[in-house]
Amino acid sequence: MIKIENLSKAYGSKQVLKNVNISFEKGKVYGIVGENGSGKTTFFKCIAGLERYSGNVSSDFDNLKNHTGFLQTEPFYFSKITGREFIQLLCSARGKQAIATDQRNIFDLPLDQYASTYSTGMKKKLALTAILMQTNECFVLDEPFNGVDIHSNIIITDIIRKLKELNKTIIISSHIFATLNDTCDEIHLLKEGVFVKKVCREEFGILEQEMKDFTIGNKIDKLMLT
Amino acid sequence: MRYYFRLQYKMLNRHISDFGLHPLIGYGISIAGFTVLSFYLFSKTEFADYVYIAIAISMILKLCENKRNGFLKNCFSSDIYYSLRFSENCIVILPFVIFLIYMQSFTPLLILLLSASLLAFINLSNQFQFTIPTPFFKRPFEFITGFRKTFYFIIIAYILAIISVSVGNFNLGIFSLMLVFLTSFSYYTEPEAEYFIWIYNLSPGRFLLNKIRTGILYSTFMCLPIIVTIGVFFFDKINIVFGFQALGYVFLTTVILAKYSAYPGKINIPQTALIALCLYLPAFLIGIIPYFYLQSIKRLKEYLE
Repeated sequence: MIKIENLSKAYGSKQVLKNVNISFEKGKVYGIVGENGSGKTTFFKCIAGLERYSGNVSSDFDNLKNHTGFLQTEPFYFSKITGREFIQLLCSARGKQAIATDQRNIFDLPLDQYASTYSTGMKKKLALTAILMQTNECFVLDEPFNGVDIHSNIIITDIIRKLKELNKTIIISSHIFATLNDTCDEIHLLKEGVFVKKVCREEFGILEQEMKDFTIGNKIDKLMLT
Repeated sequence: MRYYFRLQYKMLNRHISDFGLHPLIGYGISIAGFTVLSFYLFSKTEFADYVYIAIAISMILKLCENKRNGFLKNCFSSDIYYSLRFSENCIVILPFVIFLIYMQSFTPLLILLLSASLLAFINLSNQFQFTIPTPFFKRPFEFITGFRKTFYFIIIAYILAIISVSVGNFNLGIFSLMLVFLTSFSYYTEPEAEYFIWIYNLSPGRFLLNKIRTGILYSTFMCLPIIVTIGVFFFDKINIVFGFQALGYVFLTTVILAKYSAYPGKINIPQTALIALCLYLPAFLIGIIPYFYLQSIKRLKEYLE
């Protein structure tokens, strides 16, 4: 379980997260939605321990970061490192062996090519493969579906389901509502650094409609398309 | 085209300023450093001309990158693009050209000018580039990425070691050994993204130890052919070889610690000044290594604990 109490984060005078309180249980998938700039990535970085913050993030582990697989929105790759070496790096950093890498390369990535030459989707799939091979207990996935092809989308959805079965804690952000609908147990709406709404599975449809109404409103009419 | 070069000049100034220097001072140091190193190289070996050309061409090759030139082609018309690329290459080799003229090395000068002109028309494509094999797979990432970017320096060092044996110049052999170490130091000059420290399940102390161990292990691996070559042919001076090797390890450790003492920033003026001081008076290492170590621990705690 991850418990977050009074979490706040500011960049200079800009307050990005404001006194956030939320908890995430094992064996559940949590979706975090919100507009661009609402604080999702900062929130994820705080959970992972990649950002300094005020407040408290506690868990069942001594050091949460050592049990967390963090998939970044735009994973960074060194310019001359192959996919296989990247996986080796992430595994060895956690004291794990990268075993059966080829067999576990379910996205059929060209592992002996430089990762920096991969497409956006391939980079994402490589980073996901690497954090899965680290065998983590918590997964923080920042837009895992972003840029990946439709087949991989289906695979990622199934991976998330499998992780849930394995009693892992999974937190995802996505701008594609359908993917959250397929995977999440709860969706939390983040707005200007505050969680304004928690929605359970049975109310996902209502949330989607509300978001559509709020987001679109009469904006399309304002375009005056003819 | 004028705006492009003005922009490049601005960007260069910003890089120097980021390093903590006034651009004018930066240019002064660069010119002085280049001159001193050039004289040193030419005093050490009669093949300095060719080492010089190799260094200059390796710098031009960096401008032949496909993505970069694709962008330039997209921005400028074909005529402007080629004259721009030619001008860029000329600017990069200018210091080398001036020094070669001063040394009256006209054949290497001609080779260099021809290479610079030809390379203005060449793009190194990423599409067909093959993965350069490295023996450093087990412990990513510094030596893997560094070796692939600088393998030609290692080749040059090995060639210099062979030349040192064939002409009986022990100092050149030691220079080749130091060249390998200098190349290894360069692998630690750029700070990695925070994520690549965060992923480690290690305390800051263990993390540093791990990095130093890997650095020493892999630098030994790269130095071994040189040690064996000059060790066999200058067996009476083997102690000096081991002495320089040990000094290399100490400086490698210092550079690694300096890198993390400045993290997440780049190695800056204070670190560079302290390392330079140690190069001049190595006894200072006794104080500077623990200082860098403690600073590194402080910086790494943020990401590892």
